Amino acid sequence: MIKTKNLNLLNNKNIQEAYNNKAIEVLNLRKIYRNKKTIEEVKAVDGISFSVKQGEIFGLLGPNGAGKTTIISILCGLISPTEGDAYVEGHHIKKDLKKIKELIGVCPQQAAIYQYLNAKENLELFGKLHLVKKEDINKRMNMFLNLLGLSESSKRKAKHYSGGMIRQLNLIMALINDPPILFLDEPTIGMDPRVRRTTWNFINSLKQKDITVILTTHYIEEAESLCDRVAIIDFGKLIAIGTPKELVEKYHSEDLEEVFLNITGRRILEGF
Amino acid sequence: MNFRRVSAFMTIQFKSLIRVPSALCMILLLPVVLALTFGLLFGSIIIDETGLTVFEFLVPGVFAISALYMAMPVSYSFAEDREQGMLKRIKTTPTTALEFIMSHIISNIGMAIIQVAIIALICYLLGYRPVGSAVNIISAFIFMIIFSLSTIGFGLITATLAKNAKTAAGIIWIFMLPQQMLASGLYPLPNEAEMISKFMPLYYATDALTKLFNGGSLGELTIWWDLIVLTIFSVILVIVGILLFKKYGK
Repeated sequence: MIKTKNLNLLNNKNIQEAYNNKAIEVLNLRKIYRNKKTIEEVKAVDGISFSVKQGEIFGLLGPNGAGKTTIISILCGLISPTEGDAYVEGHHIKKDLKKIKELIGVCPQQAAIYQYLNAKENLELFGKLHLVKKEDINKRMNMFLNLLGLSESSKRKAKHYSGGMIRQLNLIMALINDPPILFLDEPTIGMDPRVRRTTWNFINSLKQKDITVILTTHYIEEAESLCDRVAIIDFGKLIAIGTPKELVEKYHSEDLEEVFLNITGRRILEGF
Repeated sequence: MNFRRVSAFMTIQFKSLIRVPSALCMILLLPVVLALTFGLLFGSIIIDETGLTVFEFLVPGVFAISALYMAMPVSYSFAEDREQGMLKRIKTTPTTALEFIMSHIISNIGMAIIQVAIIALICYLLGYRPVGSAVNIISAFIFMIIFSLSTIGFGLITATLAKNAKTAAGIIWIFMLPQQMLASGLYPLPNEAEMISKFMPLYYATDALTKLFNGGSLGELTIWWDLIVLTIFSVILVIVGILLFKKYGK
């Protein structure tokens, strides 16, 4: 339930239901970094508002440095916004951070795993940190490792894994607590096409479990094949939002890359 | 505070020690080598009329230096966790900073007990017999446990200053080397140097161990003074370490 001040004023039952259906609500979010020496300001996130429905895969698409990771970092409590509000499952990001941390799974952009532990030990640790029962940890662990084909190597130390395996382990560590909200920050970066495809199928399968996924990416194909809706971000601003199909039609484009080009005059993957 | 989380961290800290041999060497092999070297080389050299050997004179310092070296893997581990993004990831879970730090404190205390037991055994096998009762030995253990807390503080401060784990391994010497040189009791010092050493926690650990191993009684005010000052040093270092690491350790 969204705890916005104005919610009580909403009498229309349909509007109330629409609000209740929101897993995430972001309201005029700003994050400004100030350099104390040069007094220079960098607007990492500049007045962004959007909402994400329950069970939706929502993509934040934009070039490197657009502000995608900053938005996710604010929503999962790693950094505080300079201005604005955000709610995760109705909990305010500043006032109810403890509750939010119980409800989320976070797959960071930099694969964060203990290299001297094997896959099972890494998963077990994060299950315990979320106070998941041992039998549930084992059940989920075996299921995820099987789904991604990591079962055979699950007892090898992570330092011996390939880059793709490390990224896959990084992803399933975010799921061990069976979170209703999942943040995936560039989850397939550095994966080869085959592993990326397996990972996409895996992320798509999360829809059946009604998990809400917020995914950042700068891969057009990833956003088009995974996301129900996409928000295109550039220089910290939200420049377009909608389903991939809606955006392509609205801007008379071939794909999302062209949408971005039409709106900003430059390409998402410029310089690559 | 949830003890399941604390024990989960302690389990991985233990596994890291077992699986990263350099850390285990620093904590266990170094004191063994020190004790064996001093015992075998200086076990029969008498330095005063009471029959005290050089080895017996050095034993309290061996205990203290060994505990001091625990700051090295602690600082490395904090800096490495931050460098690899583990601290950020842990921060997105319901884990509190207190649970994380507490796990390190308990692990360090556990390691200090194992370390002291191993050194005590080696020294005993080399013929060292401390003067004093079982109470003195237990008190020595307590002093080492309290001193091991200060190594957490040194570790956190170092991890705050260091940009990565490799730099942390170098920076920790800023805290370790002066204490080893001035406060370990291994080297005879001029008065001025001894004055400086009184600003170091290792001085109070070494001083107390020397008194306890030489038959000092717990009734002696100086031993209690050592205990109070060492406890204050350790608590302040841990608190300062936590505050600095929280504010600047990102």
